[in-house]
Amino acid sequence: MSLSLRELQAAVAAHLDGQASAVLDELVIGPAARLRVHRHHVRDSLATALAATFPTVQALVGEDFFKGMARAYVGGALPTQPVLAEYGESFADFVGAYEPARRLAYLTDTARLDWALNVAFHAASTPRLSTADLSAVEVEQLPGRGLFMAPGSALIRSAYPIDRIWAAAQPGAAGGTVDLAEGAACLLVLRRPDDAGFIRLSEGEAAFVSALASGAPLEGAAEAAFAVEPGFELSAVFARLLAVGAFAALR
Amino acid sequence: MTAAGIGLRAPHLQQIARERPATGFLEIHAENHLAPSPALEIVERLRMDYAFSIHAVGLSLGSADGIDEVHLDRVAALVRRLQPQWLSDHLAWSTQGGRYFNDLLPMPYTEEALDTVVRNIDRVQEAFGRPISLENPSCYLAFAHSTMSEPMFLAEVARRSGCGLLLDVNNVHVTAHNLRLDPGEWLALPGEAITQYHLAGHAVNDADGAPILIDDHGSRVSDAVWKLYARMVARFGARPTLVEWDTALPDLSVLLAEAGRVALVA
Repeated sequence: MSLSLRELQAAVAAHLDGQASAVLDELVIGPAARLRVHRHHVRDSLATALAATFPTVQALVGEDFFKGMARAYVGGALPTQPVLAEYGESFADFVGAYEPARRLAYLTDTARLDWALNVAFHAASTPRLSTADLSAVEVEQLPGRGLFMAPGSALIRSAYPIDRIWAAAQPGAAGGTVDLAEGAACLLVLRRPDDAGFIRLSEGEAAFVSALASGAPLEGAAEAAFAVEPGFELSAVFARLLAVGAFAALR
Repeated sequence: MTAAGIGLRAPHLQQIARERPATGFLEIHAENHLAPSPALEIVERLRMDYAFSIHAVGLSLGSADGIDEVHLDRVAALVRRLQPQWLSDHLAWSTQGGRYFNDLLPMPYTEEALDTVVRNIDRVQEAFGRPISLENPSCYLAFAHSTMSEPMFLAEVARRSGCGLLLDVNNVHVTAHNLRLDPGEWLALPGEAITQYHLAGHAVNDADGAPILIDDHGSRVSDAVWKLYARMVARFGARPTLVEWDTALPDLSVLLAEAGRVALVA
């Protein structure tokens, strides 16, 4: 009994997927348990990689629960390439549909935040828009200009206070409780010089950033902000966003 | 004295950047640094002060599917950026049908597999513009249709592709134990091809009642592996040697002390 290398690797891959293989039983020297070493390693090592990418989710549900959930995800969604920091894009959706976690309604949004922080951490550290860049533009032209958001930035909206949930789940956090009734949060996730982080935005700020991110000029973005937040303070908000490096450049 | 190096892992990154400990070289896994990050920026700064080894874990040199060109491009870009002294990956496969298993899966040692590995290494060396070194795997099983031993297979790959060999002494110990082979068989490798040694700890697990050694890089190097290392060095000569520690990572001082033991042997 012999297989081509391609057939052998397809058979081992099927085994790793959980399928029995009579062919492999004939070809493999050593107890059947030996093949299971690989099957376990695939699931466990990928679950460990997911724990590194979704640390807040793991802190909320505990290591054992996380491991079970991650192994279930891995079983249906193996990576398609070897960079593990880029693995898990669909994990938040999986968490949202994972029946044993159904009671934790905020968990899927927390996973989305973890993923966004991971993406921002791996964004390029490129120059950010500065006040000097802006002063090079004629003042009357500015309202008509759009802005490119910084690489890796993302707006995360949740019906739950996920910024408070995130803070409570950090290593060394004081503990205490987060009241889900505190309500919705909108966070702007950004690559910072030495890590990734987020700032909390008001409804108006979120509308402003969201409009800019989709290509609107400053004038249009400000209108979108005023529409949801009549007291929106354009210049203060713009200065704050500039200071945290939210923008890459003028469009 | 032999250069003894340590793996540069994320939990130690800040401390190493701050304290700049004396070590022969630093090793990174290519796949941990292919995307930009603050960590990669630290690695780039450390590169100015340390010799580096880039150890890839995902080129899947044994794949019948061939080399993933997208992934190869990314690793080649990192190699161009860091210009490491050493460059390596494993005799194993980890990709099939567009899926990546994150495991170093075993090869059959056949003529067909030999052709495949040599063809894949040729492609990788062409992309890098320099030779790589091929690491012997840790094996838990063997295939009945293999027609040669692992050392014979490695020697032939090195001869035909011009690649170097990275001799992982812990993997020899683990493989020999699990497959009931004599570790002395690896002393027949072509010594001139050996560019580097790896040392690591392993775990002892139970597989249906029989102890099986797992190459988990999660503890100090065992006495048996130090003894085997001494035999290898006596046979092939001293080479730069890496102490690997990837799971249950200890304090940096423990890792540096373990690497310091290399000098007692080589």
